[in-house]
Amino acid sequence: MGLFRRHPVLPLGLLFAAGLVLAPLFAPRGTLNDLWNMAFYVVLASAWNLLGGFAGQVSLGYSAFVGIGAYTTVLLANAGWSPALTLPVGAAIAVAFSVAVGLPTFRLRGPYFTIATIGVGEAVRVIASGLEFTGGSSGLRMPAGTFDFSTNYHAMVGLALVTLALVAGLQQHAFGLSLEAIRQDIDAAEALGVNSTRTKLQAHAISAALVAIAGGLFATNFQYISPGSVFDFRLSLTIVLMPIVGGMGTLVGPVLGAMLFSYLQIKLLASPALRDSYLFIYGGLLIVVMLFEPKGMVGLWERLVGLRPWRRTPAVAEARRVS
Amino acid sequence: MQKLVVVALNSLLAAGLYATMSYGLAVIYGVMRIINLAHAGLMMLAAYATYALNDRFGLDPFLSLVIVAPAFFLIGVALYATLIRWLARSSAGPSMQSLLLLFGVWLVLQNLAYAIWGGDTQSILTPYTMQSLEVLGGRFGVPQILVFGVSILSLVGLNLVLRRTYLGKAIRAVTQNRDAAMLSGVNAGQIAAVAFGIGTAFAAMAGSMLSTLYAFTPDFGRSFLLKAFCIIVLGGMESFTGVAVGALVLAFIENFASAYTSIPVSYQDAISFTLLVVVLVAAPGGLPGLWRMLDRRALAR
Repeated sequence: MGLFRRHPVLPLGLLFAAGLVLAPLFAPRGTLNDLWNMAFYVVLASAWNLLGGFAGQVSLGYSAFVGIGAYTTVLLANAGWSPALTLPVGAAIAVAFSVAVGLPTFRLRGPYFTIATIGVGEAVRVIASGLEFTGGSSGLRMPAGTFDFSTNYHAMVGLALVTLALVAGLQQHAFGLSLEAIRQDIDAAEALGVNSTRTKLQAHAISAALVAIAGGLFATNFQYISPGSVFDFRLSLTIVLMPIVGGMGTLVGPVLGAMLFSYLQIKLLASPALRDSYLFIYGGLLIVVMLFEPKGMVGLWERLVGLRPWRRTPAVAEARRVS
Repeated sequence: MQKLVVVALNSLLAAGLYATMSYGLAVIYGVMRIINLAHAGLMMLAAYATYALNDRFGLDPFLSLVIVAPAFFLIGVALYATLIRWLARSSAGPSMQSLLLLFGVWLVLQNLAYAIWGGDTQSILTPYTMQSLEVLGGRFGVPQILVFGVSILSLVGLNLVLRRTYLGKAIRAVTQNRDAAMLSGVNAGQIAAVAFGIGTAFAAMAGSMLSTLYAFTPDFGRSFLLKAFCIIVLGGMESFTGVAVGALVLAFIENFASAYTSIPVSYQDAISFTLLVVVLVAAPGGLPGLWRMLDRRALAR
């Protein structure tokens, strides 16, 4: 049982995965919808975490990939393609786009990269609203007869599990170590022979493909998309916040973040008072995490079980440890 | 020729506002090496404050600056004392942590505006909003001209403070070399608080003035934040003159592109994003860096 000793959360994760896969046998439709949403968020958060968490390249433009996947699926489905075949095409376009965006912006470091991604996300949204074939700001509808919740549920849960397995695998691999090295000190990583631009491009491409497939499944599930729904800044925001609140650069963190945010979203939709204050909650969470526990819920857990000591100003200690 | 003059004057008018808007970012970056993402939220909040003063008390937007700017100075100092102070300082460059923290502040400010004023588009109408003057054969809106005047006044005032007072010299000293400034007896923490206040006050002035030119919602400010960031990158991040030059360059490019090319107006914002990425990639030192590089080449020859 060496595998379990090395990965203490693995049994819990397997149990969780089995629960998700078997849920349609006993859970009511409402719960399944919530679980679908959670799986969607797990994919987005874990994929983002590959570049944003492990390599420390915080991008605020990930809704572009959700949008590319969703629009590809809807446009091709309307041209008569089977929805399942549209997903790889969407992923391929997203990969191409990620490289096109990454080539110039990955020459920027840290916050400069982040600011540039705000610009890229904004530009994509403006262009998608202005183009003719995307239906402009009024959006597009899927053709009738493409909706099948059960298939879509299993596809989304499967994608989430594949994403997690992939991230776990990459984390053990030299590739994951290169990403970690880039986050800690990009110059030192370069000196040790890591081609930082190529590694970042690869991480960007992998996460873009995963997010685009999730976007395609999103379009099939909701049957209707518009720039306001898939290119929304709010979606980019949620994608970034989930791994940050859960714990950047860890396998479990984004999953915890996705669970928290999908739960929050259910609560927010249920109560009008909360719905109007979601930015308070999101902003407040971000401020609290950055001031007190930059490693998020995972960091909090590590401290609770005594892996790391309590400090009054942990943010400072963390920064000293890294520098 | 006539058109050229008018477009150039329009660019100049826009540049004044751009410089005011960007200076707030530049002073905070200079002293603290922090990119203030909350800048957009502060501009938006100041626009609403101006709107509220105009709506309730009939106060002219330009007169309300007398209240708004000092009030936002205090807000900035309070933000520094409650949040920014606790962040780790990094000498290497701006930290991700500070960026994300201020991003959180921006979100909270947006929600504050939604909670108080709702999500509807607001605008301020004054008797002179629709008036215009004829200068050199072109017609220019009175608000544009007033905004330009106030911007120039505020920038001249700020420049005097920076050059002539102890406070200004201390701010410049910390910007240039924090450790050396502290060794000379400058209280860097205090200077940082004041600098954050000044940066916030300039964001507020820009926001108030923007409210006389554009309609706004709680989402307002994102494209202006990107413009401001583009300008300070062009200007080499910390120098006062650099910001002014950067503002001029961006304003001229934007105005000439929309006057002489067929780029649709809705894509106009994309110009600053594109310019930002191009400059960050091609000339990370901005125009001063480019200048120094050319200078060195000339010397080498």
